[in-house]
Amino acid sequence: MEVSFMSYILLAIILFSMGIMGVISRKNIFIIYMSLELMLNSINLILVTLSKHFGNMDGQIIAMMVIAIAAAEAAVFLSLIVSLYRLKHSINIDDYNTLKQKGTL
Amino acid sequence: MSSYFLAWIVLIPLISAAFLGILYLYSITVKKISDKVFATIAITAPILSFMLGVGFFLGLKNGASEYIYEPYIWLGVNDYIINMGFLGDKLSIFMVLFITFIGSLIHIYAAGYMKGDDGYGKFFSYFNLFVASMLLLVLANSPIIMFIGWESVGLCSYLLIGFYFTDPLNVVAGNKAFIANRVGDLGFLIGLVYLFFYVGKLGFDYSALEQYIDIVPNHILVIIGSALFVGAMGKSAQIPLYVWLPDAMAGPTPVSALIHAATMVTAGVYMVARFHFLYDLIPNVGLFIAYIGAFSALFAAVIAMKQSDIKKILAYSTISQLGYMFIAVGLGAYSTGLFHVFTHAFFKALLFMGAGAIIIALHHEQNIFKMGGLRKRLPLIYIVMLVANLAISGIPPFAGFFSKDEILLKAYKHHEYLIYGIGLFTAALTAYYMFRLFFVTFEGKNYTEKKLEPLSWSMKAPLVVLAFGAAFSGFVGLPKVFSNTNLIDTWLGNWSGVSIHAEHYEEIIFMGVSVIAGLIGIAVAYVKFFKYDFSQELKEGGIVYNKFYIDELIDFLIVRRVRSLSTFISVVIDDGVIDKTVMSLSNGFINLGRRVGRMQSANTRMYAFFMLIGLSSFSLYLIFKLGQ
Amino acid sequence: MSDTIFLILALLALFGAGTMITVSNTVHSALGFIVTILALSGLYALLSASFLFMVQIIVYAGAVIALLLFVIMFLNIQSSHTPKEPNKYLFMLISAIVMLPIDYLLFRAFYTMTDIENFSITSKDFGTVKMLGLELFRNWLLPFEAISLLLLVSLVGAVVMARKKERS
Repeated sequence: MEVSFMSYILLAIILFSMGIMGVISRKNIFIIYMSLELMLNSINLILVTLSKHFGNMDGQIIAMMVIAIAAAEAAVFLSLIVSLYRLKHSINIDDYNTLKQKGTL
Repeated sequence: MSSYFLAWIVLIPLISAAFLGILYLYSITVKKISDKVFATIAITAPILSFMLGVGFFLGLKNGASEYIYEPYIWLGVNDYIINMGFLGDKLSIFMVLFITFIGSLIHIYAAGYMKGDDGYGKFFSYFNLFVASMLLLVLANSPIIMFIGWESVGLCSYLLIGFYFTDPLNVVAGNKAFIANRVGDLGFLIGLVYLFFYVGKLGFDYSALEQYIDIVPNHILVIIGSALFVGAMGKSAQIPLYVWLPDAMAGPTPVSALIHAATMVTAGVYMVARFHFLYDLIPNVGLFIAYIGAFSALFAAVIAMKQSDIKKILAYSTISQLGYMFIAVGLGAYSTGLFHVFTHAFFKALLFMGAGAIIIALHHEQNIFKMGGLRKRLPLIYIVMLVANLAISGIPPFAGFFSKDEILLKAYKHHEYLIYGIGLFTAALTAYYMFRLFFVTFEGKNYTEKKLEPLSWSMKAPLVVLAFGAAFSGFVGLPKVFSNTNLIDTWLGNWSGVSIHAEHYEEIIFMGVSVIAGLIGIAVAYVKFFKYDFSQELKEGGIVYNKFYIDELIDFLIVRRVRSLSTFISVVIDDGVIDKTVMSLSNGFINLGRRVGRMQSANTRMYAFFMLIGLSSFSLYLIFKLGQ
Repeated sequence: MSDTIFLILALLALFGAGTMITVSNTVHSALGFIVTILALSGLYALLSASFLFMVQIIVYAGAVIALLLFVIMFLNIQSSHTPKEPNKYLFMLISAIVMLPIDYLLFRAFYTMTDIENFSITSKDFGTVKMLGLELFRNWLLPFEAISLLLLVSLVGAVVMARKKERS
């Protein structure tokens, strides 16, 4: 018996939720980044599952492009972290609050 | 005479006014221009207008019925058109003639009176504009064009009364004139709007109005007539809007002469005569006008008895004489009213110019109780003032006698005995207060002699011309007992109203009564003031001297009420309600912004959480929506 | 057989993800993420996407995570540098609760899809490099080229951002 379609979907949904939980609950900017990647991966899983389900290659192609974009994102994101770290000497996302409203009007 | 020149009667003084204004600006900014240049231009304009007026007069005399000139469309809304129209009929040319004639003489006089004044050019610019406005008022072909002139004379009077604007009192007087006129003008405008609403669609010039006036319901006619008369009250200084006229004495004396004799104040009488077709249909309103006129005449005469300022006395006498005119036009005897306008123009201009000459000679002294004994020192002024005083007091054969007597006769024959009585009594009062002025000024004893300022010929010459006018202008309207042809009634045939029949012996009796009334007034004045002792203490005070406290009453009843209402609006409504609302609104937005701003915490995780909550609640909605 | 493999891989993926979002040490967290990535690549293989299986291992595990670890080492982040997060489990609970409706909606959407039982491979070479390449260069050429451009731009961007500012 084949593994059912819904078990893949369920796994993808759980991973996606864990990604969101990571983004919201953690302050470490690296972990937030990895949580975002986790969400991308869970979407990829859904795409590949659907590709198999419909017998159509398009899903895999899109998944591959998502991986390519994620790689590009990784490069920019990590260089941004380096730049930010030089500025603030911190990897706590709560310290990056230059746009905060300070004082009263 | 081509009707094309009608426009030039108005245009010549108007162009002259504009030219003088520019020249004056040039004079004060670039290079000083001689007073003679200003005076020459300014005097030429009304004289040219007068000559054109004479041309039209001759044309009308030789059979032309009326001249109409409509050069262009003044206001065009869709297919409704109001033309810039000039109408030269017998009434308007009659007005033009004496306005330009007296106006020219006053211009000549002013050239001498204003000599050396800094605002010489400005003064004559206003003066010409005043004449132009008045000419537009009388030559207009429709009430709307008339209203342009109507408003312009108000403006000019404001400018000229406040001519010496460095003194705040003069500015107040100018404002008072303007505001009182505004009240009247509003009435006039309401009347015009009513008229327009009912007959405007069929054309709005006088001939169309006269033709279609019947379609207006009678009670509306009463409203229109009353509202238009409110305008006349303002312009012609009748109760209760007369208060501006005495204060208008703040202006230079030629201005007073121009306002009182030739222009402004006669506008109301002219207007009622011009709308005679309307007032003929509503005799009750006419009677109301006559009563207002009678009470104004009496009231002003009583006040004039106690005044000591020479110009104020003359101002109240003008109100009083205007009252007579309104008695006449109110009773439908328009030509009689206009006859009095005509004679009054001569003797009132003469009085003012004589008074002005005295004032100049005495170095701007206006209190008659500081004059005295001028008979020998100013003989020419003495003679012309005597003529003018006899004219206004109604002593034959001077001008005022004929016109005033005719008004009284008409009043009696219309069975308005109360008006007749008031008129007769006022005639006696008039004689009294005018000769009081005369005796105190020229006679008396124990007066202090002051050095006199010499008077220029340009001030004296118009006086002489006007003295002849004041003496003889009454002969154009001789009563039937003397002559079968009353020139005024013949000329203004359309405006003579209901013809009344009076036997010759009746006319003689009425004349006798009028003359006796005048003589009694003169006699009382002679007894009291011919040997007036200037060394005695001057008593000033009493209810009459203070003009019945009317100014104070108006101040108390209206001005203070309006002021407290304004204060209430400014403090309670503006600050308390409007400002509070606006400020609390804006403060509310500021507070709201502050609260929203607190959400802008730069906490990225919080933003993500908000986004998640949004998504989540949307999902919840979808779940419940698709739930079944 | 494949059921067992799926179960193992799924558990590994969940374990890796759980480690990643809970531990406070950044390097440990990254290692947890690698486990998830590898488990997912295995799942791709199970779903007969053989090319993606390789790409996932090479690009993610080989390049992205390696780069990440490199940056972490490069910045020399001590454990004292890592932020204090006393309430992280509370936040996780709250966000998990808030996520529930979304999860339910997603699950429901897929569950109500037609013929979910039809889950079989149609052809033998489905998901091979050849099939993927043909598909890619026939129908997806323009997006492919666009992505190559994007990679170039991000490369330049990364260099510019991470450059040390010259002290003036």
